[in-house]
Amino acid sequence: MPLPVVIADDSLLARKVMTKALPQDWDIEITYATNGREALEAYRAGKASVMFLDLTMPDMTGFQVLETMQHEDLNSFVIVVSADVQPIAQERVRSLGAVAFIAKPVTPETLLPVLKEHGLYA
Amino acid sequence: MPEPFFTETQRDALQEISNLAMGMAATGLSELLDAFIELSVPRVRSVAIGEAAQALREMTGLDGEVTAVRQSFRSGIKGEALVICRSGEIADLATLAQGLGGQSPDEAMSEIELAFDIANVVTGACVSSILDQLGATPVFSPPGLIGGGMSLDGVFRPDALTWDMALLIEVNFSLEDQNFRVHLVMLMAQESICIVRDALDALLGET
Repeated sequence: MPLPVVIADDSLLARKVMTKALPQDWDIEITYATNGREALEAYRAGKASVMFLDLTMPDMTGFQVLETMQHEDLNSFVIVVSADVQPIAQERVRSLGAVAFIAKPVTPETLLPVLKEHGLYA
Repeated sequence: MPEPFFTETQRDALQEISNLAMGMAATGLSELLDAFIELSVPRVRSVAIGEAAQALREMTGLDGEVTAVRQSFRSGIKGEALVICRSGEIADLATLAQGLGGQSPDEAMSEIELAFDIANVVTGACVSSILDQLGATPVFSPPGLIGGGMSLDGVFRPDALTWDMALLIEVNFSLEDQNFRVHLVMLMAQESICIVRDALDALLGET
């Protein structure tokens, strides 16, 4: 069964860049979310074994999505993909349960080691 | 108001490019002000220069006195970057920066100095990053003060600014306990905006 993956970003370009960075032979089913609320809905519907989460989004930021997921018994590998590269932002998302932080623009080279490290892609 | 120059896809791409640029500027501002900078989604719009003041007011609610710093850039894309802040917010921030920097009162950072520092970080990081993502490497001229405590209409005087188009990029940097917004406006000739549009299409074609 394909792995359910959510890509949450308000920008179409960012969603495209993210999709293009994924391994081509990775057996996944992608759900796209264009704001934090949609990301949360997809998570609640069981579509997010893995979530690629942007931080600066309208209608719930990535921080708020992570906080809510944590209250709801976080059951997902959340990888934050953001342009906000301040060290404090990275510390915060990790303390909120994100397993990794990748700086935008994401590339196959920055993504692959993270997927392997967490056993998401062999 | 309709967006006259970019398609929705191009506007989205420019917004994401600005988002990346804003992330770099935030890191610089965070170091300058010794505080965590909260980012929000940048908003992008292009207008004719004569409508710039009104459009910026509509986008941002920016009214009253502003402080503005200008800096021109040259590359395949040439123009001028304006960094505009509310004068009152700059004054509050200067007080805060003084407290954080541990300077004695006679070394207190003046509002104008702080405006230059902020403009330097924002223009340096944002404009460089935006142009770099569009495939251009800018060369900057030294910055100049347009004025402090002036009206927005005074900033966009058509006789002082010789560009056709204004690319309004609203970048919202908030300090955790203090709202502070920076407005970046890139002014360009129409031919440079055409280069921007082509570069966006090239970028979109690659993805």
